[in-house]
Amino acid sequence: MSLAAHRVTLQAGPRTLVDMLDLALEPGKVLGVLGPNGAGKSTLISMLAGLAVPACGQIMLDNQPLAALPPLTRAQHIGLLPQGDEGGFLGSVADFVALGHYPFGVAALDLVPLFAAWELADLAHRPLDSLSGGERQRARLAQLAAQQPRIALLDEPLTHLDPAHQARLLAWARNEADAGHSVVLTLHDPNWAAGHCDHLLFLYGDGRWQLGTPAALLTPASLETLYGTGTAALWRKSDRAQPV
Amino acid sequence: MAGALPADHELAMQILTELRGPRVAAAFACGGLLALAGALMQTLFRNPLAEPYLLGVSGGAGLLALLGMAAGLAWPWVSVLAFVGSLLALALAAALGGRLLARDHTPLLLAGVMLAAGFGALIALVLSVAPIERLPGMLFFLMGDLAWTSNPFMLWAALLLATGTALGLSRRLDVLQLSPLKAASLGVAVAPTRWMLFTLAGACTALVVAQAGSIGFVGLMVPHALRKTGFSGHRVLLPACALAGGSLLVLADALARTVIAPRELPVGVLTALIGVPMMLWLLRKP
Repeated sequence: MSLAAHRVTLQAGPRTLVDMLDLALEPGKVLGVLGPNGAGKSTLISMLAGLAVPACGQIMLDNQPLAALPPLTRAQHIGLLPQGDEGGFLGSVADFVALGHYPFGVAALDLVPLFAAWELADLAHRPLDSLSGGERQRARLAQLAAQQPRIALLDEPLTHLDPAHQARLLAWARNEADAGHSVVLTLHDPNWAAGHCDHLLFLYGDGRWQLGTPAALLTPASLETLYGTGTAALWRKSDRAQPV
Repeated sequence: MAGALPADHELAMQILTELRGPRVAAAFACGGLLALAGALMQTLFRNPLAEPYLLGVSGGAGLLALLGMAAGLAWPWVSVLAFVGSLLALALAAALGGRLLARDHTPLLLAGVMLAAGFGALIALVLSVAPIERLPGMLFFLMGDLAWTSNPFMLWAALLLATGTALGLSRRLDVLQLSPLKAASLGVAVAPTRWMLFTLAGACTALVVAQAGSIGFVGLMVPHALRKTGFSGHRVLLPACALAGGSLLVLADALARTVIAPRELPVGVLTALIGVPMMLWLLRKP
């Protein structure tokens, strides 16, 4: 199962965000997408999920145009974690997580391992809207895991997660990759990207993009080009405030 | 004494089969349809306070029905006008606000709310210039009243058909409670399903309004209360709405016929009098 973008161009109004992107998601690899706000990360993710049409170019799933695939078939292969918006859901956490299995029909899924993995067992019967931001993010991740996608596209999955659950997400992503699945994450943390992604995609927001390994792409100079002058200081160790 | 049956057995049977029976049956079907439409609207707009008249259906129906009454038309024609008015309101809302429904329901909501406000003003205009002897009939229509309903069979057929259709969509509707992007990523065709919801809820509401005027609160309170008490899956929620909405309106109509007998109250007054305290009590609960 491989997803590929061929000469894909993303536009926002008259602006070209990403110009002629060629990208192939390799099974077994974790790809991190970095870029400033508004650079087109979320648009790219929803395009890879087949939910938005690029200005030009094509997204292919196993050499078939993704747009030609029936929605349910697509949903059996590709999972998306969009940025949070659960305002309309009034049911319990368990109901919420179970919806992830929708593309596979009425066949019931054993949710207990998912609750255990995302530490939701005690929250399973609470209404979703009574959860904290981080707990809700875990429920959303569990919902995505219930879909068992071979290609998982996650838009800012670290949002609201405490370090313990960031580690849990990291382990999940690595596990998925080891099972031969592809994982794409959008991130704002170069340290996380350096440690846990196999490949990185930089989106500059003006059409330019860069693909490479963390070792090649993550230098103070390249981060300043990506995010703006002075930003590299954020990740440089300061003499005054050494973490313990 | 209204409510009690006369001693004459034959007359009593006649009242039961020709007046009371059909009216109770119609009340149940109307209440069921309204509660069902309310549940569908709440799912369409991802908002537990959405209700069947949100998009101006009752305003459109009320305006044309009142114009008909002001012109001295008889009931079946007023009913037809009300039906046309509600469809007109829905078509306007769809045309003005329906473009982006795959991603965003706000334009449709705004268009509907604006239309409802406009119809409200026009209704007030008609009321202020209409012949004074026609005002009570107009007010009864605006508050909702089951005395006119003539066709319980059609209403029941509609209730069964609508409940069946909605049940067929129930798993998709569960997913539709998520954000449009997430629902689409799970394989639900968001825009077509939302249009189905719009059409189904609109048709249910238009039918009821044409038969019984704008009976308020059933369509807001019943689905909201059931959701609050833990019915979140549509497979159970939708039939529960039909049952509870029907029962509530039968009860309200029985009270409307009897509290100031021999005169009758518009049933909408009773649904609101029962509904407002219940809603406030439900909202108070965390």
